[in-house]
Amino acid sequence: MPNRVAIVGIGQTYHKRGRPDVNQAEMVGEAVRAALADAQLSIKEIEGVFFSNMETFEGIYLPDHGMAAEVGSFGKPGLKVCTGGTSGGSVVVEGFYFVASGLYDLALVIGFEKQDCGDTTAAITAATTPVWGKGAATGAIGEFAKQALSYMETSGAKEEHAAMVRLKADRGACRNPYAHLKLGLKSVDEILQSGYLVWPLRLLDFCPQSCGACALIFASEGSAKKITKKPVWVADVEVVHQEPFRAGIFGDPTGQETYTQHVACERLYRRNGITNPRKDIDMAEIYEPSNWEEMNLYEHLHFCEKNEGWKLIEKGITEMEGEFPVNPSGGVIATNPIGATPVIRVAEAALQIRGDAGEHQATRDIKTALATALGGPNWTVLTLLKRSL
Amino acid sequence: MAERVGIVAVGQTKYHPNRSDVNEEELAYEVIKQVLEATGLTLSDIDSAVTCSQDFWDGRTISNMNVQHVVGAHMGHEDKVAEDGINALYVGMSQVLSGHQDIVLVVAHMKESQGEKSLIENAAFDPALMRPLGLDFLSTAALQAKRYMYKYGITAEQCAKVAVRNRSNAKNNPFAQEPMDITVEDVLGSKMLSSPIRHLDTKPVSDGACAMILTREEKARKLTSKPVWILGASNCYETHYLGDRDLANCDALVKAAKKAYSMAGIKNPLKQIDVAEISGEYSYQELLWMEGLGFCGRGEGGMLIDSGVTKMGGKLPVNPSGGVLPGNPNGVAGMTRVAEAVLQLRGEAGDRQVKGAKVALAHGVTGICGQHQCVMILGNT
Amino acid sequence: MARESPKKKAKESKPEYIQVAFNTPRPYNWSTGKYLGKFYAEAKENRKIVGNRCPKCKEIWLQPTVVCPKCKVDMGWDWVQLPQTGTVTQYTYLVYPLWDPHYGEKWANPYPSAMILLDNGFYYRAFLEETDKDKLRVGMRVQAVWKEDYEERGQGPADILYFRTIED
Repeated sequence: MPNRVAIVGIGQTYHKRGRPDVNQAEMVGEAVRAALADAQLSIKEIEGVFFSNMETFEGIYLPDHGMAAEVGSFGKPGLKVCTGGTSGGSVVVEGFYFVASGLYDLALVIGFEKQDCGDTTAAITAATTPVWGKGAATGAIGEFAKQALSYMETSGAKEEHAAMVRLKADRGACRNPYAHLKLGLKSVDEILQSGYLVWPLRLLDFCPQSCGACALIFASEGSAKKITKKPVWVADVEVVHQEPFRAGIFGDPTGQETYTQHVACERLYRRNGITNPRKDIDMAEIYEPSNWEEMNLYEHLHFCEKNEGWKLIEKGITEMEGEFPVNPSGGVIATNPIGATPVIRVAEAALQIRGDAGEHQATRDIKTALATALGGPNWTVLTLLKRSL
Repeated sequence: MAERVGIVAVGQTKYHPNRSDVNEEELAYEVIKQVLEATGLTLSDIDSAVTCSQDFWDGRTISNMNVQHVVGAHMGHEDKVAEDGINALYVGMSQVLSGHQDIVLVVAHMKESQGEKSLIENAAFDPALMRPLGLDFLSTAALQAKRYMYKYGITAEQCAKVAVRNRSNAKNNPFAQEPMDITVEDVLGSKMLSSPIRHLDTKPVSDGACAMILTREEKARKLTSKPVWILGASNCYETHYLGDRDLANCDALVKAAKKAYSMAGIKNPLKQIDVAEISGEYSYQELLWMEGLGFCGRGEGGMLIDSGVTKMGGKLPVNPSGGVLPGNPNGVAGMTRVAEAVLQLRGEAGDRQVKGAKVALAHGVTGICGQHQCVMILGNT
Repeated sequence: MARESPKKKAKESKPEYIQVAFNTPRPYNWSTGKYLGKFYAEAKENRKIVGNRCPKCKEIWLQPTVVCPKCKVDMGWDWVQLPQTGTVTQYTYLVYPLWDPHYGEKWANPYPSAMILLDNGFYYRAFLEETDKDKLRVGMRVQAVWKEDYEERGQGPADILYFRTIED
């Protein structure tokens, strides 16, 4: 019988474009101290520290070793995982398994990325098989552009819908003290007038490169109940990976291939008795690298039928005040320190369940939340959180 | 803990200085095929895969993309650890113990021949303070060796004995890369790399992979007649900056060993452990790590190797496989140690078999001067 | 007449951050291995595009692989030559230069990158020769153009310079 696991502490840095005032270790230290303060624990009580980071982005080999003193992991067990964009999701899953197994009672799970230290696009382009793909690589941006074109054509979504998603994200970000891009966008028109980056994606449509860290403290049931009155239970996790799409890397322009989100949700929902996601789950923090992808993901995460993703945003269903809020925190399009982003999704979903999300708290009561992680190529990690099991 | 975790099959490649005939995927598949054939499982039977590789060494961001399909991760559960291979095994163990995953495939691969060792290792150092000094793991190991030898009077001859014994043991290991008949004089006469570390005190560049399959006790007994149980395991970090610790200590190893021993019920390592496979790219490290593992007191590593306790036929043979010195890629070395320990406990270690081995210790190390240590205790009863 | 120009109001001093830059190239030697090696050989010697076919599901995989990702079985050595003409299904072009991580240079490749549906139903990613973005459209017919010089080939997929628009 696996042990039950709860999140008892949440901490983030204030995510920014550049953090020249700190080095990588110091930045992570901020998030760790915030999480410990939130849980009212000291680092002494933490039994293991698990890291997630994509080391090629900062050009630092073994980054978890470098921050042993600042983070307080020296003298403690731990390790680092790196699975690309889903690294943060993988570290949450690993932390979950380590506590569920009984090997650890209190584990600290950290995701971080300090993207002002390197060239993200070059590092992403280096993810193609060295002897194969570099020839026609365009980084993540080109891939998403192709996917957006295909979504427009197959689903009938218009640029207006993408702009509505962007507006929703910015409204959330402006109310989230930790978010990176707070643009103060006022209307769909304002967005439609802005410039293209890689057609049809506008500069506004794409996520930023952020510097930030996010830390979570996982505890086993016995400890969790002693530490906090509001533990957020990790009900289940699901990991699905696959080789790159045939016709793309990060997105499938043909609209025919199976998304791992679809498979992962099928498995997770079946195991947890979820038959009507928008009713059985109260909100979602999803990993959407662009607003176009958010609409596409609504479909693959079974929030709506195929080709209807844009209708959810048109009807305001996924707004903060809506019936099924998605990314009230501003999402990835407002904040994206890659190694930390999936951990931030879990953190934000947990804050919603605790009712601690301040000004970006969803209007309806959140008892169950889904946090997703996405990575190249076509990787998904899902975390299902509940107020009570 | 409910059911124990059992290792049901292990596979290794013959370690080689340059496997230019294969890419990472084919290299990993060689060992995956070995473990699948041994158990009669197919890739579709694998519930979860834990891979271990370093983006910096593979020269590719998200280096697990290199081995995705060969671990059967199509629409499957997959994770990648970025430390020494033995840690991937630790993660696999937690997955099985958590009750959430059943059959776990663990694979580590690395082709050291692909990259420039010094440049890659230099990237592990703090960019502002230590990198500009041009340090790599060899030069810092040399600092540690010097400190260790100075504090406790360990001699170069004692370090050389580690190399002599390991290279000789490797002659009985069909997977070993460079078995050799050398003497202490040969080691002390070999080219000085970074004092006091000489060429024969260290290992050659190596390519290779290692894989194993783990599952819970009940299933393990069905998949093999000789399951090997993980009785205890733990890892531990040390501080990073060289000046923050006395390099002649290995506190992280002491802590990791303590936790692993307590899980396995080991109170007297020399008595209760029948064979030990210890990682160490530099000869002095084995002496220091043996102290950390409690095989002898602090500063007594040199006396321990002089005593003959650790040679084949001794009270606690160390590295019957030859260990890392004859050639093992650094990201795979720890997992190879576990594979060798498993072979010992299954009685399948051929000419290097330690008779009647029932409890084995395997050890892996990552980072500068052994900043990250991992210890596993395995048993066959 | 003033002796000195009036002093500016003192600005609050900004903190000075230390930035450490590293521009060391890190060389790598990658092996193609057996399967990718066959692709490279066919491209160099015969200017052919080949993929291997799974014995179970019969799907062709490019880049060639040792295990079929979907069936999870050994791929074996069944090679299929792919057609060199196809239809553009998607394309995109770079507006600003990217860093080429393999050469460390800013690489403003003028050719658009495209996903081409080869005539046998297989998707192949390559560059397009047409740089005038007004002439690009989804559905155009294209054909592979190889590097002519034998000595220059041997770069695998890069042996194909780009796909040229053909009149149907």
